[in-house]
Amino acid sequence: MKLTLKKDHPLPLNQKKMKSQLDQVKSPNQLSETIQKVCSKIAPVWPLQSFVAVNPYLGMMDKGFNEVAHDLDLLGDMSMTLPVSYYLDKLEEGSLKLEDLEEILTEKQMAEKDGNTFIANIKQNQDAEDRTSNVLTVGDTVSLLSPTDWNRFMMSRVSSWSAAYFDIGQATWKATFEKESIFLAWKYEASIDKTTELTGLKGFRKLVADLPENATEAIAQSLAVLDVSEKLTSWYLHGLLRRIGGWSAYAAQLDWDLKLAGKEGGKLEEFLAILISWESCLYQSLESEALQQKWKETKFQQLKLEGQRDVNQYLVQKLILQEAFDRSAQKALIQKFKNKQPEIVKTKPKAQAVFCIDVRSEVYRRNLEAADSQIETIGFAGFFGFPIQHTPLAHNHGDAQCPVLLSPGATIQEHLPNANDQKEATEKRLLTHQVKYLWKAFKSGAVTCFSFVSATGLSYLPKLFTDSFGITRPVPNPKTYGLTKEENKNKAVSLEVTEHAEGVSGLSMEQRVLMGKNALKAMSLTDNFADMVLIVGHGSTSVNNPHASGLDCGACGGQSGEPNAKVAAAVLNDTNVRVELATAGINIPQRVRFLACLHDTTSDDITVYNESQIPADRLAELEDIKKSLALASASSRIERALRMPKASANQLHEAMRGRANDWSQIRPEWGLAGCSAFVVAPREHSKQVDLGGKSFLHNYDWKKDTEFGILEVIMTAPMVVTSWINLQYYASTVDNKNFGSGNKTLHNVTAGIGVIEGYSGDLRVGLPMQSVHDGERFQHDPLRLNVVIEAPTEAINQVIAKHPMVRNLFDNQWIYLMAMNDEGQIAQRYTGNQTWETV
Amino acid sequence: MITMIGVVAFTLTALISWFQPGMRPTLVKRISIASAAISIPIAILGGFFVFANGPLQSSTFGFAGLGFSLRLDSVSMIILTMIALLGFIVVKFSLNYLDGDARQGAFLGRIAAAIASVQLLVLAGNLGLILAAWVLTSISLHRLLLFYPDRPGAIIVARKKFIVARLSDACLALAVVMLYQQFGTGDLTIIFEAIKQNTVAGSPFMGIETAAIFIALAAVFKSALFPTHGWLVEVMETPTPVSALLHAGLLNAGPFLIMRLAFIMEVSSYATYILVILGAFTALFASVVYLTQTSIKTALSYSSIAHMGFSLMMCGLGLYPAAILHLVAHSFYKAHSFLSSGSVIDLIKIGRLGAPERIGSPLRILVAIALSIGVFIGSSMIVGVDPKGEFSLLIIGTILTLGISRIFVNALDSKVNLKLIGQALLMVMGISTVFFLLETGAHYLVATAVPATMPSSLVEIVLISIVFFAFLVTVIVQMLAPFITKKPAHIALAIHLKNGLYANAIFDRIIGSWSNEVSPAPLTENQTVELETYPQTAQA
Repeated sequence: MKLTLKKDHPLPLNQKKMKSQLDQVKSPNQLSETIQKVCSKIAPVWPLQSFVAVNPYLGMMDKGFNEVAHDLDLLGDMSMTLPVSYYLDKLEEGSLKLEDLEEILTEKQMAEKDGNTFIANIKQNQDAEDRTSNVLTVGDTVSLLSPTDWNRFMMSRVSSWSAAYFDIGQATWKATFEKESIFLAWKYEASIDKTTELTGLKGFRKLVADLPENATEAIAQSLAVLDVSEKLTSWYLHGLLRRIGGWSAYAAQLDWDLKLAGKEGGKLEEFLAILISWESCLYQSLESEALQQKWKETKFQQLKLEGQRDVNQYLVQKLILQEAFDRSAQKALIQKFKNKQPEIVKTKPKAQAVFCIDVRSEVYRRNLEAADSQIETIGFAGFFGFPIQHTPLAHNHGDAQCPVLLSPGATIQEHLPNANDQKEATEKRLLTHQVKYLWKAFKSGAVTCFSFVSATGLSYLPKLFTDSFGITRPVPNPKTYGLTKEENKNKAVSLEVTEHAEGVSGLSMEQRVLMGKNALKAMSLTDNFADMVLIVGHGSTSVNNPHASGLDCGACGGQSGEPNAKVAAAVLNDTNVRVELATAGINIPQRVRFLACLHDTTSDDITVYNESQIPADRLAELEDIKKSLALASASSRIERALRMPKASANQLHEAMRGRANDWSQIRPEWGLAGCSAFVVAPREHSKQVDLGGKSFLHNYDWKKDTEFGILEVIMTAPMVVTSWINLQYYASTVDNKNFGSGNKTLHNVTAGIGVIEGYSGDLRVGLPMQSVHDGERFQHDPLRLNVVIEAPTEAINQVIAKHPMVRNLFDNQWIYLMAMNDEGQIAQRYTGNQTWETV
Repeated sequence: MITMIGVVAFTLTALISWFQPGMRPTLVKRISIASAAISIPIAILGGFFVFANGPLQSSTFGFAGLGFSLRLDSVSMIILTMIALLGFIVVKFSLNYLDGDARQGAFLGRIAAAIASVQLLVLAGNLGLILAAWVLTSISLHRLLLFYPDRPGAIIVARKKFIVARLSDACLALAVVMLYQQFGTGDLTIIFEAIKQNTVAGSPFMGIETAAIFIALAAVFKSALFPTHGWLVEVMETPTPVSALLHAGLLNAGPFLIMRLAFIMEVSSYATYILVILGAFTALFASVVYLTQTSIKTALSYSSIAHMGFSLMMCGLGLYPAAILHLVAHSFYKAHSFLSSGSVIDLIKIGRLGAPERIGSPLRILVAIALSIGVFIGSSMIVGVDPKGEFSLLIIGTILTLGISRIFVNALDSKVNLKLIGQALLMVMGISTVFFLLETGAHYLVATAVPATMPSSLVEIVLISIVFFAFLVTVIVQMLAPFITKKPAHIALAIHLKNGLYANAIFDRIIGSWSNEVSPAPLTENQTVELETYPQTAQA
């Protein structure tokens, strides 16, 4: 049904009336509170330079998984399950079992308890299965009446304004009021930008210019203009933010950083003010009686819809299928542990290797243990307990190298051990960059770009070919840029406490001892040290990949774990630290050497950094370990190649490594795709189980954890991180449109922050489709994380009781929890409210 | 005839892709990369042949000089080689980039068809074939733009492009008809010879002016000059390799057409004014707008528009060798920029090392500019050319000087050490020398295929002066940018520029870009719940 807008009726609104309405609506405090609450529902998104996995449902964890699924469905056609056909395929395939479906039907007390009938019903309705179309905003309402899709127009304008305002590295000339606050900057610009009026919104700029300057006041005024009742406010504002979820999430990230630094947030509120101002100005500019009438209807219907749980019957069915699918996977995991081979008798290891809990480490660890049974592996969060800020050589600032939940505890500078080399390299790197800067100004300047192209354009011909064949990199590698091969090899971390213009860097002796002690304790590695202990951070290698940092270590804030491994090894090799540690009861024998290593997850090769510190008489030992590493690397590659679409047996290793320097490669590796379990237990209990690169692994021995302090840390830090990663993959899979970043071949890096798909539109959050799907099937099956902890359930309950954040995760069914017994079998399943059932 | 192998191979690829349009198409992948690979030696071989034997024109299958014939001269061979090289890179890139796409076969087929049509255009030896290939390029591009046919953005851009392309086709068709009437043949060699003889005899053709104007307009529409540029900034609605091929290959059709028909353009005057005025304005406008853009591919598109403007301006000034050098250089540069557009984040990370701090001393800036002029004269002497004697070198040399003075100003007027200034000096000397060598080389290569540069008329001199003044002001403003306080008026200007002076907004309105019909899934009334009818009097 389409109606044309009637334009001859002026809007019956005058300032006076508006004012009186404003007073009626609500007190400013009340409104502020509502706004705060709405804003807290939006999960942040980090810029691509350190693309951290974020749980996109963060902020709604206080509600149940299913409830949120219904809310999102109503708010903006956002889906929390895949279409029915996916689950039916899984049923066919056998990974979703009919008996599990029936189990869920019974648990949910559904009218229909027979699985086959349930499926038959669904199949019958499958064609009818459709998106929920919900008209919520003025933009939606107007789209029903007008042949023009003002909604799309508005989103395009807000997105393009946001890209300009938030820009951190694309535009040379920032055409925006960057010095002003978010709302004011938009208000000034929107009263200048003629696009709105040229597109047909009469008097739009004047309307914007007349808005209040304060964001909260502007929200209040717009609510009054639109006559949104108090009851509907929160629902309506939440829906608005979801319409431009990407830039909202970026504003939420700015708030996150401010709050972490102990400052006032409020960025997202200002952004919200823009969105609602757009709505009210659109409403007023169109001056249509039909719209006013329709808008009343919209509000009336929304009041009825808000918070309804059974509106969408298809969704109810899909949620049941999803839960059944989760249940089947859970049972398969339990079974895997039941079937495991008995543990081979333990001997004293010749080496211990500490890996990140990352699912990719699981593959490597299993292969390493198989390559050399005398090497013991340990799983621990990949920042190894050293939350640092790492300043690369010749830089003034660096990135935080720790989970985003933490603030870095110290700044560590990268340096070359030899002072002369250090000075020389720093100067050279700066000079290289300054030359590059001159070049760039010449290359991209207006007019000067013409002489650049005439004179140097032809030099891109050879580069096109060398880049195509992976011989050169399209742009220099930021990590090695401006330094020689030798210098890059010798780069180390400086623990010395030194003062600079930018602050203090280094670790004092107390800090070193404290961090070292906590790290070793948390790893359950306080005795029985092997002669060589490898601290293996991880990072990935890919070129021309905007999402590259998403493949790096999540525990290191979307960076490579290299600096953390280096710091950990340097601290633990420090003789003075060891003396102090001994007084705390941790005796590290003289012979023990900590090696800083990096696991390249794209090639599965491992680099050892501080080799030069190994005494000559022990090089044979090192060589022996490196041989095992090479074997493990090769067998890991073979295992991972099975998931790659194009893996020919004879050139397999070359092909896998080649992905790292292929500028046209959109799937350099699978990252954490497939992650669906987190096992917190001694390695002996998972060692004989092939978890297929789908499980996070954390070493934990509850018998050593007398006060269960470590358990608390694990459940509040690494476990939360794994839930974020799991839910990020989950959301990117089930709703790539809203929580993923779409088609990688269309990506257009925007504002130096993120990507848009194609020419315009919202900032995209989450993972590209290509990161979860290989074209034929999902490489990440949407499964909620199964956390398996080997600890007494009472101890686990205590942590759950103490931390609402943890309780929400389990009680609201965002992830599942199971307990492992002393025999290494999964014995109990958490059923909410600190109750358990035997499996 | 051998040069047609590339066209045939790519056409074959396109045909085969009909039978294997889907995911991971082994055969299409193999045959497309083979076609791309074989095109390179063939183009080079053809180039040597022309170099050794001079321009060649094949006989025509058809009648009255319309139909099928090829013209091989240095212009067509240079562009053909360029297309062959780019085609290979783009096809190779697409093999992995589109891996797993449900319609990779169709994609490769469409890419192949586009390359084949450009090759045909380049080789065409008569007006009829040029027109046919001209239309074919835009049809093949249209199919690439709609590779994801459901995307609203793709539909809009294809619609815009369709309109502009048809205008361009119509202009060229009119021009072809007029020329055919005038000369009674479509054969390029015959037409060029006729023009040359008549110019010597001093009796130019009547009516050729109008044809030339239509040719110029066809090029303007084809190469997205202001104000028809809107479609080009939106073409990233289709996979990256298409953008690379479009910006580095298909877009060049405009300047190529002018070069191809240079003998005709040369005897007209108003047509060249159109090119100079629109070209120069577009060059300036788009290279400034480029600075304000916030996404990489959009920024690159504005850059392409600027370079097309610049190339057509050069064509309008009759500086064909310089124009062809610029065109080819730009193609390689832009193909690389698009294909590597995923690397911006790395560049931003590198940028954290910080830029040198500027001082803002007028003396230093003046010294820097003086030095640039010195380097310009010095390197021209080293290479052994006399810019004053050669008008074309004088013009483009001045533009070069503007460019290198930017480098010098940044180096001299910043808090940096002597080493950097030394490096900057080396850099600009290198650039200038290479520049003169290339310009001389280009001149040497294409001299036989295009008319010699004529002495300028008074109108041209006035135009050139205005253009240079505008260019100069733009460069100086950029040099001083760090010290210009940002007044609201400046920001307002920047905002208008960021929006491309609204040319695209108007275009959007004309073609109904924001219409509901284009939207992916238009909203309908709430259907999910049976709601009671809304009471007319109720307060929501």
